[in-house]
Amino acid sequence: MKNKMILFLGLFLATSVSVMAQSDNISPARKQAIDSLALEKVKDLSKYISIIGSKETQFSEANRVMDRAEELFAPGAEMGVSSINSSDIAYYAVRRYFERLMALNYDRVNISWYDIQYISDLERQPDGRYVGVITIYQRFEGTSIETGMNYKDTTKKDITIYVEKKQTQIAGRTIEFWDVMLGDVRVTETSA
Amino acid sequence: MRIIKLVFAILIASISVVSGQGIGSPGTIKDDGRFAASTKQVNQFFRRFNAEESVDGTVRLYPGDPNYHNVQLRQGFIQILFDNQTSSISKELKDDFIKTVLSPVYPQYINFHQEGWIAEVEAEFTFKGKRESTTLILKLQPERMGYEWVIDAVIFPPFKNLFNKPVGEEKDFLHPLSHELDFMNLRKAFQDSNLPEAFTETSFKPDYLTLFLYEMKQNNIRFETVKDVKFHFFQIDGWYFEVNQFNRPGFNTGWLISNLVKLNIGDKETILKYIYDQE
Repeated sequence: MKNKMILFLGLFLATSVSVMAQSDNISPARKQAIDSLALEKVKDLSKYISIIGSKETQFSEANRVMDRAEELFAPGAEMGVSSINSSDIAYYAVRRYFERLMALNYDRVNISWYDIQYISDLERQPDGRYVGVITIYQRFEGTSIETGMNYKDTTKKDITIYVEKKQTQIAGRTIEFWDVMLGDVRVTETSA
Repeated sequence: MRIIKLVFAILIASISVVSGQGIGSPGTIKDDGRFAASTKQVNQFFRRFNAEESVDGTVRLYPGDPNYHNVQLRQGFIQILFDNQTSSISKELKDDFIKTVLSPVYPQYINFHQEGWIAEVEAEFTFKGKRESTTLILKLQPERMGYEWVIDAVIFPPFKNLFNKPVGEEKDFLHPLSHELDFMNLRKAFQDSNLPEAFTETSFKPDYLTLFLYEMKQNNIRFETVKDVKFHFFQIDGWYFEVNQFNRPGFNTGWLISNLVKLNIGDKETILKYIYDQE
């Protein structure tokens, strides 16, 4: 079902390009389609974070998922993390962030997501690519059996998305399509 | 007015029922309305201020839509865009502002791409082994195919008293016939004086940003972290407001107006001077 959805979105984005061939402006309809595609990538990231963070995930599997998760990001993307106690932003490369998540010292980890997200407008940057931000909220719960410690937090994740028009060859024809990559992620602990 | 605010808050708080596209379903947590009510991005601040999105934030409103820039929708939104918990903006001032902005003859909007709003970033840098709290002023400018944020000014405490140009009798000078001696007395200005800035023109103002970038290029200044961000808006005629991020429990959170000033003649320049000079 999900693959069909992505295929549909991809086709919509690809075919609709010919209509707008004269201009790189993004119409409201295309914006909506791009939003859906970006949201699919964010959902994939959320799923991967849950798998990487789970204590039931084997080490080898977690590494495989980390590879998949890394592929969602543009090169050089970073996670900027701050907490309620410290407003300093700590910077981690995406892979390092996942590795830290995997290494957390809890016996049980539960990561879940709130049913709310917010998608910004797309703004054009000097190089012609578009940039947007998707905001989501995550709840983390970690339990240590030995100490009986139970840690909970809720974080707001502001995820950069880069939207770029690309070309591919299908059956000798050049098809243009809009591709979405994830970029820097700002992780803020909320007081909720 | 209070009733409108209450109704609007309840309306936004009930959004969780509508929004069903959870990121990580199944096991998705239902928002009790707090995150829906929060002004989650500066982008959302713009959209809400102008009534360019639906109450639940899921639909972007474009020109042609009957609710685009709708006065009632704007009124409800702007009411909840104020920090109602810690700021001491009086009800009268707020009402006056809202009345100006929603004027049927001359409604005013904020515009992402237009001048008249700047970002103030509090960051930390290491300089000569010591962490220094630094303020950067950034503005948005067009560049090639799009836009970019650029640094307009820096307020860096170690530079603060670097240049103290003496005045009056204290100020040394190059006498007016120095040229007849091929300015040989420059030696006094550059070698003998600890205050070479005394020999600059009356309007001399050190360019701290250039100095800051020079020290950075010499590897004397290293970026550490960002501590805080706020925005200053001058886009509404005769008004200034400041937008801060409020991360706290409850429904009045996110990017909100924390300071509002009705401007008299000269006030804008005074506020800008304060922001840029931090004096």
